Amino acid sequence: MNSESTGPDDGVSRRTVLAAGATGLVLPTSGCVNRAESTVNQDTDRLALSITTVPADGDREAVRIARELEANLEAVGVNTSIDMRSRSEFLETVLLGGEFDLYVGRHPADFDPDFLYETLHSTYANEAGWQNPFGFANIPFDNHLEAQRRASGERRQEIVAELLESLAEEKPFEPLCFPVEHRVARTDRFEEWNHDHPESRHGYLGLEPAEDVDRLRVLVTDSRISRNLNPLSATLRERGSTIDLLYDSLATEHDGELVPWLAEDWEWTTVDGGDDTVGHVTVTLREDCRFHNGEPLTAADVAFTYQFLEDTSLGHAEFASPAPRYRGHVSTIENVVVEGDRELRLETSAGDEAARRALTVPILPENWWRAEVESRVESAMSFTPTQGRWGLVTMDNVPPIGSGPFRFESRSEREHLTLERYEDHFTRREDVDLPEVGVERLQFGIDPGSASSIKRVANDGADFTASMLEAHALDTIPDDPDVEHLTSPSRTFYYVGFNTRIEPFSNPHARRIVSRLLDKSWIADEIFAGQATPTAAPVLEEWVPDKLAWDGVDPVAPFFGDDGELDVETARDALEDAGYQYDEQGRLRL
Amino acid sequence: MDADVLTQVLTQVVVVVSALLLTSIVVFVGRERLVATAREWRSRVRASAPALAGLAAVLWLNRVMRQAGPGISEFIGLHMTEVFYDIEGEFVLVFQSIATEQLTAYFSFIYVYGYAFLLIFPGLAYFALSETRTFRRLLTAYSLNYVLGLVFYLLIIAYGPRNVMPEELTVTMLYDNSPEYQHLTREVNRNTNVFPSLHTSLSATVGIFAYKTRSSYPKWFPVAALLAVSVAISTMYLGIHWGIDVVAGLALAVSCVWLSDRLVDRRPTAAVRRYLDRRLGDRDERD
Repeated sequence: MNSESTGPDDGVSRRTVLAAGATGLVLPTSGCVNRAESTVNQDTDRLALSITTVPADGDREAVRIARELEANLEAVGVNTSIDMRSRSEFLETVLLGGEFDLYVGRHPADFDPDFLYETLHSTYANEAGWQNPFGFANIPFDNHLEAQRRASGERRQEIVAELLESLAEEKPFEPLCFPVEHRVARTDRFEEWNHDHPESRHGYLGLEPAEDVDRLRVLVTDSRISRNLNPLSATLRERGSTIDLLYDSLATEHDGELVPWLAEDWEWTTVDGGDDTVGHVTVTLREDCRFHNGEPLTAADVAFTYQFLEDTSLGHAEFASPAPRYRGHVSTIENVVVEGDRELRLETSAGDEAARRALTVPILPENWWRAEVESRVESAMSFTPTQGRWGLVTMDNVPPIGSGPFRFESRSEREHLTLERYEDHFTRREDVDLPEVGVERLQFGIDPGSASSIKRVANDGADFTASMLEAHALDTIPDDPDVEHLTSPSRTFYYVGFNTRIEPFSNPHARRIVSRLLDKSWIADEIFAGQATPTAAPVLEEWVPDKLAWDGVDPVAPFFGDDGELDVETARDALEDAGYQYDEQGRLRL
Repeated sequence: MDADVLTQVLTQVVVVVSALLLTSIVVFVGRERLVATAREWRSRVRASAPALAGLAAVLWLNRVMRQAGPGISEFIGLHMTEVFYDIEGEFVLVFQSIATEQLTAYFSFIYVYGYAFLLIFPGLAYFALSETRTFRRLLTAYSLNYVLGLVFYLLIIAYGPRNVMPEELTVTMLYDNSPEYQHLTREVNRNTNVFPSLHTSLSATVGIFAYKTRSSYPKWFPVAALLAVSVAISTMYLGIHWGIDVVAGLALAVSCVWLSDRLVDRRPTAAVRRYLDRRLGDRDERD
């Protein structure tokens, strides 16, 4: 018995699957290619793949995409199974362990396409973390990634366009669609909801509480924020919205632009030397900023942060142990010169456009983290900080010591995380031109279901659903004047990631053919109920070149079939053309 | 803030289950037994104290492990979703073909209210019997179900059908139709605790006991049987368990009932006592 899908609209007719002769019980191995030992036919080395994804409680749309892909892979003769992991274990498997064939997930992306640098540069192919989980290494590609960092304006746009075109050819990962983010909010307790993207730092700032309202009751479907608040953790969050509330960064992104945050001002100086473009940015911090434990935040803490993210062992280990997060951000910073308590100069190896992401990393208190590192160095017999996985980057970090607009108050694992307003934060000052925190307390309650979250907001049991609501629950949003339905475009995207280190996805043809087994338009229409935009590029539209513009079908890797219905013959022919062989029962051989 | 919804659902469950219990006591237990129980309850409680304490300890352990379990599972657990899904595929979807609104309402009711009632009522009914062994065996069987179930939950990490085939199960999935129940079940369970189905094993345990005690409670047996079968089906119908979990639940029930018979007032304990007596006696002689 195998797991052929038999749903009415799953795109593959049952007969086709049976014709493919998908039989044979498969014993799972942890990720990687399982060479299934078929009891029926022991001399076949059948191609077997495992799709890693999260359960429906984690992301219902991801599971459905994975199942669609599974059915279509089975149809073309690949023995396929689904490896289901909790959200944190999924990221651990994919980002830290590299123990997968292919996976379906949602990528947090960033406001500038330079996030592709850490995602794809070969330097990071062997590092654990958000940096290059695909193990992808391609020299022309590296050159593009580096060139876009040094360029600016139209030139940079052109290089990024070339980069995206070769990404669409090479497909270390395949972007599928950008979802529309849906949320609901109560308008009788708070006003000004639609003002900003709710996942941004500004999202919680401008809110105006009604009289007598002292806490904002937020619901999240993800329990991880109640378990871990380590800004360095790769697996306990995708986007860093909670970390952004607890920690400050020099600048913060608002509507795609950087606005002053901890830095009251900065000045870029770029030396355009063709291939050697370097520059520096002079930063002035706001006066008298303090961490939540009362210690002053100075230029030394900022310098420490950049050094620490590059090497979390602070030079105590034989090899540097870079953080599993913010890798691309800090890689443009060559050197940090502290010029005073509030002044410092960051020397960059990139132009201001690509390097500006560096200003958005959370600033960490030097004394606190240095003590943490040193206590670990002293207590260990031999100090081996395994990159991306050692205690310092995985510990829960509760309570967190940041300097952000909110400070930690309490938590109960898998129940809630409560933050309180940090009264000394600079956003509270009269002379600072930023929206201030209106509410005293921010309470994140964990509610795993979209439908039940909506119901609780409707019943005045909560004020806001911070997690993106799932498409299936949207029609339960009540028609109530006190409940506002907020929608915003997302820069996060659903995608299929391939492990390019091992067979079969070390071969770009295999990645391409598998990408063509998914109908992105159908996914957006059916799985997301129209609440998603199919795409051939993982970046916002303004960066997408004409060649990759979406025109009903994927311009580079169109679906084998039509309207979600797979044309099995064409797909099988393509596999044969790529050099794959079928056995007499129509099963794909390794 | 969880509290609001939770309190609401809990109150509802308490009210409904209490009503069912009161009715059942009148119908099945009868006046005579109640009068006798009122007279003898102290001695019966005393006789059953170890079994009661055992169950309390197990329930406490269960609560502790709900927090600590995932951490332990991470190290020793095996990921089995893939295997279950490979073995039985879309078997549970057969119930989708008979799904109607009424059936969904029925099975949702059974899964939450019917199950709670089914577990509590035998406790009261057997306490009302003049002999306490049946009562003690029932408590022991419950404890065993929880302990063995817990061991499996630590060893096997698997997600149920609703997490794998959300689309196909949309129509009947419990938490989509009645999201409030998610708050209730979240208090007692986690989404990776699917193998075996404790709903099935505890219900089947009650069913087997009802069969064995049908001479004392003849009218209870058919009711218990219907409820137990309904609970087992509901777990699959609502997309919570795989067929494999239900089969394992049945096996667990049979094992626990058998073990409870061995453990309560039977040879092993008696044999151990005899053995200890002998050893201590030997030593006494040597001394």
